[in-house]
Amino acid sequence: MLSRRDMMKHGALLAVAGGAALRSCPARAVQPVRGGHVRVASTTGSLSDTLDPARESMVTDYIRSAMFYDGLVMLDEALVPRPALAERIESDDFRTWTLRLRSGVQFHDGATLTSADVVYSLLRHRDPLVASQVRFQAAAMRSVRTDGPLGVIIELCEPNISFPSVLGMSNFAIIRNGTKNFETANGTGPFRCAAFQPGIRSLAVRNPDFWKSDGAWVDSLEVISISDDMARHNALLSGDVDIIAEVNPRLVALLRQRGMGVMESPTGTYTDFAMRQDIGPGKNADFVQAIKHLFNRDQIADSVWLGFCRLGNDQPLPPEDRYYNHDLPQTTFDPDRAKWLLNKNGFLHQDLPPLICSPAANASVDIAVLLQNEASRIGLRLDVRRMPADGYWSQSWMHFPLGFGNLNASVSADMTFSVAFASAAPWNESHWRSPHFDELLTLSRREADEEKRKAIYYEMQTLIHNESGLCIPNFITSLDGYHQRIKGLHPYLGGHLMGNNFSRFIWVDDGAGARPAESAPA
Amino acid sequence: MTMDAALIRAILRIIGASLVSLIFVTVAVFFITAVLPGDVADALLGQAATPDAVAALRHSLNLDKPVLVRFVIWVNGLLHGDFGVSLVSRRPVLAMASERLIHSLLLAGVTALFAVPVALVLGTTAAIFRNTLFDRAVSLLTLCVVSVPEFLIATLAVFIFSVQLHLLPALASISDIHSIGSFLASFSMPVTTLACVIVGQMSRMTRAVMIDALGSSWVEMAVLKGASPAHIILRHVIPNVIAPLFNVIALSLSYLLGGVVIVESVFHYPGIASLMVDSVAARDIPLVQICALIFCGAYLFLTTLADIVALLSSQRRHAA
Amino acid sequence: MTVASLARWWAAIPRIPGALILFWLLLAVLGPLLAPFAPGEVVSRTVFAPISAHHLLGTDYLGRDVLTRLLCGTSSTVLLCATATLLACTGGVFLGTIAALKQGVTDTLLSRFMDGVISIPSLLSALVAVAAFGSSVPVLVLAMSLIYMPGSYRTSRMLALSIVRRDFVLAARMRGEKAGYIVLREVLPNMMGPVMADVGLRFIYAVRLLSNLSFLGVGLQPPLTDLGSLTRENLLGLVYGAPAVIAPALTIAVLTVGLNLALDSNRGEPD
Repeated sequence: MLSRRDMMKHGALLAVAGGAALRSCPARAVQPVRGGHVRVASTTGSLSDTLDPARESMVTDYIRSAMFYDGLVMLDEALVPRPALAERIESDDFRTWTLRLRSGVQFHDGATLTSADVVYSLLRHRDPLVASQVRFQAAAMRSVRTDGPLGVIIELCEPNISFPSVLGMSNFAIIRNGTKNFETANGTGPFRCAAFQPGIRSLAVRNPDFWKSDGAWVDSLEVISISDDMARHNALLSGDVDIIAEVNPRLVALLRQRGMGVMESPTGTYTDFAMRQDIGPGKNADFVQAIKHLFNRDQIADSVWLGFCRLGNDQPLPPEDRYYNHDLPQTTFDPDRAKWLLNKNGFLHQDLPPLICSPAANASVDIAVLLQNEASRIGLRLDVRRMPADGYWSQSWMHFPLGFGNLNASVSADMTFSVAFASAAPWNESHWRSPHFDELLTLSRREADEEKRKAIYYEMQTLIHNESGLCIPNFITSLDGYHQRIKGLHPYLGGHLMGNNFSRFIWVDDGAGARPAESAPA
Repeated sequence: MTMDAALIRAILRIIGASLVSLIFVTVAVFFITAVLPGDVADALLGQAATPDAVAALRHSLNLDKPVLVRFVIWVNGLLHGDFGVSLVSRRPVLAMASERLIHSLLLAGVTALFAVPVALVLGTTAAIFRNTLFDRAVSLLTLCVVSVPEFLIATLAVFIFSVQLHLLPALASISDIHSIGSFLASFSMPVTTLACVIVGQMSRMTRAVMIDALGSSWVEMAVLKGASPAHIILRHVIPNVIAPLFNVIALSLSYLLGGVVIVESVFHYPGIASLMVDSVAARDIPLVQICALIFCGAYLFLTTLADIVALLSSQRRHAA
Repeated sequence: MTVASLARWWAAIPRIPGALILFWLLLAVLGPLLAPFAPGEVVSRTVFAPISAHHLLGTDYLGRDVLTRLLCGTSSTVLLCATATLLACTGGVFLGTIAALKQGVTDTLLSRFMDGVISIPSLLSALVAVAAFGSSVPVLVLAMSLIYMPGSYRTSRMLALSIVRRDFVLAARMRGEKAGYIVLREVLPNMMGPVMADVGLRFIYAVRLLSNLSFLGVGLQPPLTDLGSLTRENLLGLVYGAPAVIAPALTIAVLTVGLNLALDSNRGEPD
């Protein structure tokens, strides 16, 4: 573990970490027990399922990854990086980071973890052939080199105090040096891969040589994916599976009534509407403002999320984030003002580009329809164009003047800002360019003083709220369903099912009294 | 002798013609997939599909070559018995598809064993007792069953039999089947759902065709001559109805391979229809190709069979 | 063709009960006008609400009025599916009988083409059609009729094959009648029974295809909707017995079963 001295000496970040882990250690009366087989149904699964950490982009991939692989750090429930394969991460200037690896960690094939594995795992993201999902983030590392068998030195292109969080991304999991074949997984994680059939199932069995003694309680886990909502819930209710990812808000009542557990995780995941500022009506600031006023956020919260969400304020940090700007005035539903703004600029009598949405972007079709209806009430005609889910992210998303997208909970505020809002951000959905914002981002990455950094983040949120073409009506509260015999689940800010890390923490209680109530009160 | 030779020539012509269809479809599917927006590089990278990343990946997968060049490469491989490897998983597509095909054939086979006799019996009896209460009841029942969307039937069945009554498993995962008992438990709901979809069409067509045959002049003549019912059915009805019946059965069975995406997804059954959908979504062209080849091949096999039966039955009628 | 033969032909077509067709067509045209709310409007904070005085069929998964959406969905389902089925079956039956009559090269070419079209997975055809021509109602209707024409073609051709060998057709050919005359006068009236059974079923499949296309994201665009999509989007309401899922499913059943039974009962008897 990190020594106290190290924390005080170096890491503004890690010190922050200590202070921010507010909700850790919930009182647990019962001691976890080993054993048991657990079946999990996730949502998305297809032939594109992968065991290559670089290529992971779907829920089921992340779940598998957390079973088979370890990262250098692991993000806890409040998204604070905690040591994992790296015992220590230090930097004086936030540009050059020195890592000390845990000794004696073994891969599933018996090889011992060395710095060469880490260098290979981090550098391979640059290779276009790898088709990495985090090539953009990897590009921030100027060099990664070994420093003895257990030392690694990472030099960044520019200082970034939030860098350890980056290493907590699932895609940066550590694989064995030279691995090119991903038909099975050779990681250091708590489970070994016993079977992997893309789009069908994967089977994980406990790794007896796992480096951590507490954790990985269950003997084996089977992970399948059922994309059909009703079928997934039925599988849980019938006892075919023990845990399901993504409970539909409409079925929470049913599950609870039948004695199943539903875990609510407030996350930073959101579905957004982007008005591009380089083409179309989004170039006009009044139009952007008017549309933001046309989002009936309370109605969306009730109709679409059934209350399992938190109010959004057109900036990407959720209310639970430690940098959330509480001083920013809330954008309200104000059709009169919207109408006035639109009329002033002649938009009420114009043909506008369609609202692009898709089942690929969570609930975007429903939100689009609600927006369309509110618009029609003030005489604004908006067409909704629903696109096929496949190909949406590469072919439609960000390609049209007005369109929906969604962003999964990010590992840090810095990551959110740099991938989705900076001028050079690959996911800058509204094509917003703000040199001032870019300066603040650079500044924040060097700012060791927590309070000062917070002030910078406040200003950045204000800029996004006021200037960007992005509307974020709500943050989604993730819902996961589980059988009462599954213990050890608790909410993570990083996403559903404990940021996909649940396999490391859950245990099975088949003891007396733990049986589910078959005859729930009607 | 000459009759036989002519017949064999005719049969060979039918088979030859269906091979032409197969080639036509193969070529068509290749170019159709080329028209689809986006390719495997876009699909693999998804949200990470920045122009430079896509270009580099595309280059490494030979996707930057003109479509005609890729077509020639693909056909060349095909001629050498090489169906190619998946662009996503790098595994041979032949192995991937045949694994799923076995599952699909199993499900389709069990469904056909169950549904075809039921449909024929229902259709024939309805025709014999036409315009009676029985006929109306069969009509109403089969129509109701076929008009309810299959996702509703499947979901309702799972909710009743798995969730409420705990009688059957909600998923038909092939890995859990160890005995005849578990096989029946896993397959009963998917098979019933699929049967609902195809029994309607088959039984209604059977009825319609049978009524026409029973009302035909030959049958009326035979009845006047005092032939026995068995004789009438065997000598006059069956030869007249076998061709259209075989045709409708062939159409229904070909649906069982490619059209069962919904049933596969509701019951988490790893069949070839969902592989096809996946491969289209991933723009994994070699895999799309082989799935299309399989569907098309199965369809052509069944319809060619129907055509040959039609030919034989008409020969027989003329000979008789 | 004389007036007399036209009349005879007309008499041979099953006299579809005008009342039933008229009822659905009227509902299709007037239904949306009778709707109490706008189809996209959220009218209640309760989703899957039961039947009440305010909302005769309850509310849907977003809290919208089910009756309103049902009237709109019925309208597009009836109009689109009827058009697509008519196009598909007219084309399929006509080409199928021609192929059976002419045989030889015409038959081979047509049959190979139809086999080719039918064996291209409809998912692919639909995605490509929309990618190429955009997702508009005419494109949708054309795509649906193209997908179903080959099936109708095959069935008709099979039926016609056994008829064209019968004496009265042979006699007509001997007289030197034109192909069109033989098809309309001699062949079609004698296969109307099975053809009508086929038409009825194809209408059912069209209803299903329309909802599958919407599910894939290439069907009707909101706020337009169809009955199959209404059933699908409210599927979760099944566990609560919500009218939101039961009403559209029942409407599909009543519409399609009624049409098929009507086609059955008014079938022209063969000559």
